[in-house]
Amino acid sequence: MEITFEHVTHSYNPNSPTANLGLDDVSFKIQDKKFTAIVGQTGSGKSTLVRHINALLKPTSGTITVGDRVITPETNNKNLKPLRKQVGMVFQFPESQLFEDTVEKDIMFGPMNFGASADDARESAHKMIKLVGLDESLLEQSPFDLSGGQMRRVAIAGVLASDPETIILDEPTAGLDPVGRQEIMDLFKSLQQDGKTIILITHNMDDVANYAEEMAVIHRGKLIAQGIPQEVFNNQELLKEDLLTLPKSAAFAKELTEKGFSFEKLPITINELGTEIEQQLNGD
Amino acid sequence: MEKIISIKDLNYTYPEAKRSAIKNLSLDIYKNEWLSIVGKNGSGKSTLTKLIDGLIEADSGTIEVAGQIINEENIWEARTKIGIIFQNPDHQFVGATVEDDVAFGLENQGMPREEMVKAVDEALILVKMADFKERDPQSLSGGQKQRVAIAGVLATKPQIVIMDESTSMLDPDGRKTVLNLVQQLRSQQDLTIISITHDIEETELSQRIVVLNDGQIVSDGKPEEIYDLGADLQKFGLEEPFTSELVSTLRDTIKLPDGYLNEEELKEQLWKLHSNM
Amino acid sequence: MGRYLPGDSLVYRLDPRGKFLLTFYFVGIVFLANNVASYAFLLAFVIFAVFLSKINFGFFLKGLKPVFWLILFTVALQLLFTPSANPLWHWGIFTFSKEGLVIAGYIFIRFILIIFISTLLTLTTTPIEISDSIESILKPLKKIKFPVTQVALMLSIALRFVPLLVDETTKIMDAQRARGVDFGEGGLIKRIKSFVPILIPLFVSSFSIAYDLAIAMESRGYKDGEGRSKYRVLSWDRRDNIMVIFMAAVTGILLFLRSY
Repeated sequence: MEITFEHVTHSYNPNSPTANLGLDDVSFKIQDKKFTAIVGQTGSGKSTLVRHINALLKPTSGTITVGDRVITPETNNKNLKPLRKQVGMVFQFPESQLFEDTVEKDIMFGPMNFGASADDARESAHKMIKLVGLDESLLEQSPFDLSGGQMRRVAIAGVLASDPETIILDEPTAGLDPVGRQEIMDLFKSLQQDGKTIILITHNMDDVANYAEEMAVIHRGKLIAQGIPQEVFNNQELLKEDLLTLPKSAAFAKELTEKGFSFEKLPITINELGTEIEQQLNGD
Repeated sequence: MEKIISIKDLNYTYPEAKRSAIKNLSLDIYKNEWLSIVGKNGSGKSTLTKLIDGLIEADSGTIEVAGQIINEENIWEARTKIGIIFQNPDHQFVGATVEDDVAFGLENQGMPREEMVKAVDEALILVKMADFKERDPQSLSGGQKQRVAIAGVLATKPQIVIMDESTSMLDPDGRKTVLNLVQQLRSQQDLTIISITHDIEETELSQRIVVLNDGQIVSDGKPEEIYDLGADLQKFGLEEPFTSELVSTLRDTIKLPDGYLNEEELKEQLWKLHSNM
Repeated sequence: MGRYLPGDSLVYRLDPRGKFLLTFYFVGIVFLANNVASYAFLLAFVIFAVFLSKINFGFFLKGLKPVFWLILFTVALQLLFTPSANPLWHWGIFTFSKEGLVIAGYIFIRFILIIFISTLLTLTTTPIEISDSIESILKPLKKIKFPVTQVALMLSIALRFVPLLVDETTKIMDAQRARGVDFGEGGLIKRIKSFVPILIPLFVSSFSIAYDLAIAMESRGYKDGEGRSKYRVLSWDRRDNIMVIFMAAVTGILLFLRSY
């Protein structure tokens, strides 16, 4: 499903003395089946932006189109289930959403809300627990007896179980150790390769460089850049204004240019950087 | 070097747990050093912190803090020598405002009010949060809250500051400010820093890394020695340093010296190769 | 009532203990008013106090919102059910009379007075100042071994964590809505059931916050509340004395107007 934002503005506490703009006239497209990263400083409006895609928030003005579903300021809270089934959302520290007495029931909760039969939901739970790298035997346990990392995976399985076409991830790896982080990121990449649209909010520019095909930069509620990561990380204006930090490889390449090396475009992954250095040193 | 913490043959098993969280662990920590403790989740890092501060009681073994073996009688005195910055900025903010929070530890010591007012101001200046004195925690960023937590700890003039994954919930800006601040304070206030972390950049600031696995120390050395483990570091909950990853992609075709190279060293090597072309 | 609004004016600077007690006192004397003159006088006093606070009047009107229906209902009740010897209009059990109109008017003004004055207290006094005031007012109870300082600390920590738990609730609600929960849809049982996925995570995170906080407090040397000194002090100034005298004068005038 393609997702389109047209002149979307969102104001918190409108008509009150403490009103402030969460989003300011944002227009852009998120392409179907792609891996899109959304970056920006804390409080820039990234989370506000993605909450419009499944209508957890409604625009103060403007429209959002998700597939053939249109969300406007007038959209009411009825009949949102089909939309929310299509758009799954993994929140920051999603383990805090667990509540059932067994892992299995908790994973089944979403699919059942969206109208799946108990049998289908159970089947889905068994499939998903393996997909997120946990043992099926955990299904009978209470989610509150698991370790933090396992709880995170159960929560993610609970979102994936409804088989959403679009998956929104709000810093899904925050607080995990490096191995866990990489496993989770690889999982999302493989889901995308299986045909899902992935939208990732992150502060980690290396994840953007390694996983995303598209990126958008949000600053103070405004969309200030969009494109493929290669291009955006080479956007001199953004870098000069300090609105974007570089992935480690690009930052290192930039320092190499002080003496001898020159890059037409800053490489953003270790592999690209390695290839460039080899070419420049071996002279071919 | 003068020892400030000395741990001998420490054992701890959580009630109802099958495996011990800390097994026969011995470790000396020296005055004014910055020590990183790394390890996977569940390797015993946080348990060790709680043992050092007497928040849980060891099954066997001893912990000596600033020359005194801690026991039930002197634990409150030992705690005044140690300050801990915890992981979640929201869960350790006791006061209704920044100044109240910084004062909390001093109130516990029964410090007279006039001294307290001075100590709070000084601590807030040290962490550059003096302008936020009257703000409530809801209006602060994660990084700012952690700086207030540091001020609260500094106000009581500890000798040891333990950072228990205290930057893991911060955004990159917040993390950078907090780490720079801690580095500066360590020399300024002659502090010993123990940081428990998964963050490779945080360990780069330290002088020594101890790797914990299953409640035991499996490695103890200078950062460059530990980084030499390369991709194996992941097993111990630390990502592979950027430079060693880059070096391993280059080694096939480019001649580089053995062992771990930090960014400066790698840059120098590459520049040298480039100018010799 | 409203949440504390940062600002600075005479009303902000008054000692919170005085503000706290005099607000209660004022709510008490509102019930002494019995005629147009006394109600008009009290209304003038409240408007004067609001003016002194330098706070936008809109915030006070907002304070009325949550109790709007209660006011409307009570006023309507008085309008339609006050018994009268010569009603203006009469239909079945309903009676509309001049007396009813007057009483309804008084009740309406009484609501306004009470809500505005308590909104004034909460807008200009931080929760922690209120909790300090309570501690200070309860201090005599220490003599009978009532743990006043512990209770005050408990109260201030509770106040400190309310906004955090509100945020947590919003987040959990959003997460469950994203998993297909409809709040406020379906029958009563279904609605009550839809709160289970919020309440359980909220309990779990409250406990984890409480545990973390207890550990953090202990590591910072909090034992049992004994031997602690206090950072916050309340200071009673000349302006607070003036306020008390002013309030006494208001009472005097009110008593005079009552029999006017």
